[in-house]
Amino acid sequence: MFAIQPTSAEPIYRQIVEQLRRLIAGGQLTAGELLPSVRDVAGFHAINPMTVSRAYGMAETEGLLDRLRGKGMAVAATTRSSATQAQRMALLEPQLQELARHTQELELPAEAVLRRLGRLLEE
Amino acid sequence: MNAVLRSVTDHRAAPLAVQGLTHGYDDGLVLDGIDLALSPGSVLGLIGRNGAGKSTLIRAMMGLLKPQGGHAFVFGEPALTMSDHAKARIAYVPQQPEALAWLTAQQMFDYVGRFYPAWDAAFAKSMLRDWDISPNKVLGKLSPGERQRVDLIRALASQPELLVLDEPAAALDPVARRDLLREIALRAGEAGTTVLFSTHIVSDLERVASDIAFLHAGKLLLQCAVDETKERFARLWLPGAMSAAAPSDTLGQRRHADGSLSVVIERQPDGSWPEATRLPGARVDALGLEDLFVEIAG
Repeated sequence: MFAIQPTSAEPIYRQIVEQLRRLIAGGQLTAGELLPSVRDVAGFHAINPMTVSRAYGMAETEGLLDRLRGKGMAVAATTRSSATQAQRMALLEPQLQELARHTQELELPAEAVLRRLGRLLEE
Repeated sequence: MNAVLRSVTDHRAAPLAVQGLTHGYDDGLVLDGIDLALSPGSVLGLIGRNGAGKSTLIRAMMGLLKPQGGHAFVFGEPALTMSDHAKARIAYVPQQPEALAWLTAQQMFDYVGRFYPAWDAAFAKSMLRDWDISPNKVLGKLSPGERQRVDLIRALASQPELLVLDEPAAALDPVARRDLLREIALRAGEAGTTVLFSTHIVSDLERVASDIAFLHAGKLLLQCAVDETKERFARLWLPGAMSAAAPSDTLGQRRHADGSLSVVIERQPDGSWPEATRLPGARVDALGLEDLFVEIAG
């Protein structure tokens, strides 16, 4: 369920936490839903189980996940499946900044980029 | 678990450790005072360019080579005089295995399996099938790649507490490589196996290694947790006009054709980047391990 890029400058445990934040904020993961076990995630991606545990642990500390005795990790009950718009917007901020930077580097007019983005969002 | 450098000071507790290891050949020093210790359950990826001395270091660590200076310890015992008890707890796969060439894979497994208390014959059998190796062909007639695969299976089937692999990826196709990485990752994470593997394929290491060590010009330039390395180092680009203000004493420094300068910078103790990142025109890039390696060793 996670998209892992080992060569990214972003450590794998952060990639997992970031994706959990997004999946939960976007409602793809709902409260109470069980996550795949550390072993399954580690085995599937051939990554170190300690990395997955670390990510799950961090998500638990953030209140995204609850540890269920004997069952593993589940999406926290307190996490509303749809976070506020501002919270969801904040998750998109890094990509927006990246897009703005590329736009400036390519010296493209803002209107053209916004028009194209608008069309993509309508699809 | 934290990202702080997990150094083991008590060499008796470390599955594998070297102190002040120095070794050279006719054309100079290959290892120049190497200190290294693996903590139990860690997976250390040893990176270095071809000829950096990775195999020499590993052979010295395994007690197969008497270093000109320094000491190597396996489970606290001097590597050169390791007991049979310690030998039964480790598995080492050289780059070019040559032993027992007159046996078939199956015969070799039947033979060496007797020396290992935890030998997993079923695993060995299914891996031979998965990795497409005939169990009844004499080892001497296998290709070098097949030969190393047989030896990797032998090493994994012995369920060692310490697994040492010299360039294991070279002989494997992408699917088999992923199988091997999965085995390494799960054994370290679940059985607490300590693993050392050398490679020049950085992406393999990024999946499974908990720690990395860069071997360059006979010295270990960096020994650090993988996640911490990615968070702690970055590349700073400075335009030519600003390059005089570059921090000195950095791990890597490169001048580019347009006069600009790139240096590897490290976060300060408070987590911030050095002063020079706030110079006009300065740009900070996050670095993957491969980029970092190239910046340092390139």
